[in-house]
Amino acid sequence: MAVLADPPLPQPDLLAAIPRLRRYARVLTGDINRADDLVQETLARAWEKRRLWAAGSDLRAWLFTIMHNVFVNQRALARREKLQVSLDGGGDAEDAWQIPVRAAQYTRVELSELMQHVGRLPADQREVLLLAAVEELRYEEIAIALGIPIGTVMSRLSRAREKLRNAFADAPAGAAPLKVVK
Amino acid sequence: MNLLPVTDADLNAYADGQLASSRVAAVEEAFARDPALAARVADAKRHNAELRDALDSWLADPIPERLLAAAAGPVKSAPGSARRWIAAAFAVAAALALGLGTGWYTRDLELERAGTPTTFTRQAALTHALYAADVNRPVEVWAPEEKRLVTWLSKRLGFPVAAPDLNSAGFALVGGRLVAGHQNPTALFMYENGDKQRLSLQVRKQPVDGGEVAFRYAVENGVGVFYWIEDNCSYALSGNLDRPQLLSIGRVVYGQLAALEAASKN
Repeated sequence: MAVLADPPLPQPDLLAAIPRLRRYARVLTGDINRADDLVQETLARAWEKRRLWAAGSDLRAWLFTIMHNVFVNQRALARREKLQVSLDGGGDAEDAWQIPVRAAQYTRVELSELMQHVGRLPADQREVLLLAAVEELRYEEIAIALGIPIGTVMSRLSRAREKLRNAFADAPAGAAPLKVVK
Repeated sequence: MNLLPVTDADLNAYADGQLASSRVAAVEEAFARDPALAARVADAKRHNAELRDALDSWLADPIPERLLAAAAGPVKSAPGSARRWIAAAFAVAAALALGLGTGWYTRDLELERAGTPTTFTRQAALTHALYAADVNRPVEVWAPEEKRLVTWLSKRLGFPVAAPDLNSAGFALVGGRLVAGHQNPTALFMYENGDKQRLSLQVRKQPVDGGEVAFRYAVENGVGVFYWIEDNCSYALSGNLDRPQLLSIGRVVYGQLAALEAASKN
């Protein structure tokens, strides 16, 4: 019986990864449509390059690697285009980052505040934080996915967390949740 | 105890549950000495939990068709309908795969959307249990006569059916039979592996308008049933297997049915 020719990617694993890829892409891009474009491109690349995937290794980590590369390339391209239009340096794409949420998702003000702070992190720190905290990848996997040494993973994570802590500490009294008074 | 001084990396790893067990005592001792360190890690852990809390709900969002199509891989010059079929098969697989990781929220959503008769999974499970337990006569027509079996069932069902080849999953075709369905007759293909475990694929024409894809995984009376509708046909894959096993066999079934469908449309 005819079965598809080339060695295919393990489809259940691929499909199982999609919701996580979409989530990560949303956090990366801050935009649902751009996120799905990124996932689509990632899946297309994964099929193109499927010979490079070592069967039996963690497909999800490999997909995150591809997504990271696609994202970095797209951003570099966008920057170059932007630079041609204007050299004023204002309005970096990252400034426009905003977690796309449905209002009902937040019942606690504190939480949306955390998301805003995460959104203000530089993209490289945000990536590491999300992969560690939300995707729960091992640091070694993050290093491979992002193509950086593990020491860099650790330092980005430290900086990300320090910024979050400071952001909450600096929050104006009115916006901050109740503080414990000693 | 490992007495190297506690580093930022240790604190992060502690918060993320990735710290080597040999370092845990040193870090916890440092917390006792310096509450500020403990507070930092507590913040990190709380942020992790809150981020997951906020973002986990996204995982249940329905996957757009264009992504399912992209996941299905490049389809060479496939006509639209075959491509749609493949995307649909992937939607089914996605539901199951997603369910494995994140629970079953989408299942019920999809079920509701398509108005699926939930009794079919039960019926499929009962039918499977009845015939799979029959050691000597599980089928009416045996595998050596597969061609005759397929011709007969196709004729009785009124559309072409095929018995997927599950040898790659360790299951050989035992044979098949015609069974009574709710409104339409149902074709049953029985398979068996080396451990004498049996599974069945049941196919029938969908009595209600089945324009949309629906999928369902259920355990009925101890039998796992993976059920979906496509192009006015219902499929139920049943067996006393655990979810991952049924999933991997389901993968083979979709692949083959999709390939057949694509071939027939070419």
